[in-house]
Amino acid sequence: MTYPKDLAELIEEFQEVDDKMERLEMVFDMADEVVPYPPEQWNNDSKVQGCQSEAHVHVEIDDGKVLLFSGADAKLVQGLMGILTIAINGSAPAQALLLSADFAEEMGILNSLSPSRSNGFRNMFDKVMKEIREFV
Amino acid sequence: MAIRDDFPILKREVNGFPLIYLDNAATTQKPQIVLDAMNEYYTSSNANVHRAVHTLAGEATEGYETCRQQLKNWFNAERVVMTSGTTEAINLVAHSWGRANLSAGDVIVLTEMEHHSDIVPWQMLAEERKIELRYIPVLEDFTLDMDIYAASLEGAKLVCVVHTSNVLGVRNPLEDIIQMAHANDTLVLVDAAQGVPHERIDFQECGADFMAFSAHKMCGPTGIGALLIDSEVFETMQPFMGGGDMIETVTVDGSTYQTDEHKFEAGTPRIAEAVGWSAALDWMSKLDLKKEHQRLIKIARWVAEQLRTMGMSVYGRHEELDSAVVSFLHPTIHSEDLAHLFDSRGFAVRTGHHCAQPLLNRLGIASTVRASFYLYNTIEEAQLFIEQLKEITERFG
Repeated sequence: MTYPKDLAELIEEFQEVDDKMERLEMVFDMADEVVPYPPEQWNNDSKVQGCQSEAHVHVEIDDGKVLLFSGADAKLVQGLMGILTIAINGSAPAQALLLSADFAEEMGILNSLSPSRSNGFRNMFDKVMKEIREFV
Repeated sequence: MAIRDDFPILKREVNGFPLIYLDNAATTQKPQIVLDAMNEYYTSSNANVHRAVHTLAGEATEGYETCRQQLKNWFNAERVVMTSGTTEAINLVAHSWGRANLSAGDVIVLTEMEHHSDIVPWQMLAEERKIELRYIPVLEDFTLDMDIYAASLEGAKLVCVVHTSNVLGVRNPLEDIIQMAHANDTLVLVDAAQGVPHERIDFQECGADFMAFSAHKMCGPTGIGALLIDSEVFETMQPFMGGGDMIETVTVDGSTYQTDEHKFEAGTPRIAEAVGWSAALDWMSKLDLKKEHQRLIKIARWVAEQLRTMGMSVYGRHEELDSAVVSFLHPTIHSEDLAHLFDSRGFAVRTGHHCAQPLLNRLGIASTVRASFYLYNTIEEAQLFIEQLKEITERFG
């Protein structure tokens, strides 16, 4: 699919790195890109189910644009949240909904995006999209 | 390394590094002989079992029933029911024996160390029948509280206990547990999924009434397991699934059932898997399992010591009869991150709650990283694992 420009550039950057550990390190670094959702606000509604780590997301629409707040105790998960933030924050909800979860696979970060009990990213992505859909 | 040579998968690379497979408590790899046996079965003998008179059906039946006979010999058991695995075996007991023998107010004793497979079927039955479930706590030294166990037996109809914990590797004192239960006229079900890969168990000698386990944790295929049942208890049990193969006669007015193990094996069974499991048992019978276990527990103990030295929290004690499972947590790197980092260097380790959430709740943690060693693992791999962890800690810790 066609990704938003910032995300497309990120995907390209990741694809240029052969070493998976280095790619993981790059994801860890993206953890700072999230709009923080502080642990004291984490609740059952914000919790991403089926995630090995404690991961929470909260979506608001501000001035017609998506605003994703997120946080996780695992760096990989929060890094992926950071990438998702870059991809959708500031977009119109309808635009954000066009994004597919495949980018994590294309970046060579996750081995599989098939729904499974350990696929926290997939569950997180689906939860964010579901919340955005409620605003459309 | 003769043992390793039998496992073609160990020659592959993962993310550009040689695979070091340390997720054996989840499933073990399969020797070539198992792959060949299953391939040969589908290539030359595939047919349905028990009914048809043609040659292929005879070969398929022989392959399937040979596995049962081998299991009888291996475990010194008179009744071996083939199931899809440990989980189905336990569900079979809950549905067949449980429904016939348990009613409101009856008690089942479980432990906090159980795998979800040995908790959820009993919770479902408890809800349906208003049965009381009593859980034996796990102490700080990772063993069961035997005083509470003794007290919990009063009025109990069944004890369900895990042979060896899939998280801690702790091998429970089954001999005492069974003896105490029987003194109270309480039956015992042993979840031996983690026990049978490491220990030759004599079912009749150990005295359990039910024992459940899976082939895939002992070099056999996935999708098949067994339930051993004490022969006297077996005679009292009725089928829980209806269908082909388990019947004697069917009329529009009703059916009669087989009286042997087939009464529990409705539908076409896992024939190729049974053939593969036979091959795995043949392969394992050539090994000195006791000696191999001593080697593996030594490796696990060494790994645990190294981890403690590095400041990791280690969950388990790694005594002589325990399995070679090392669960731990890094002081600064999240378990999920650690597992991904290990994977990037070719190491397969497990993270999460390991389907044992009550145990992890008792330990006050949400997950562990688990490295589990099996027959083809070497001390060199364990050393590489520790070296890798040092490198990861230096870079990410």
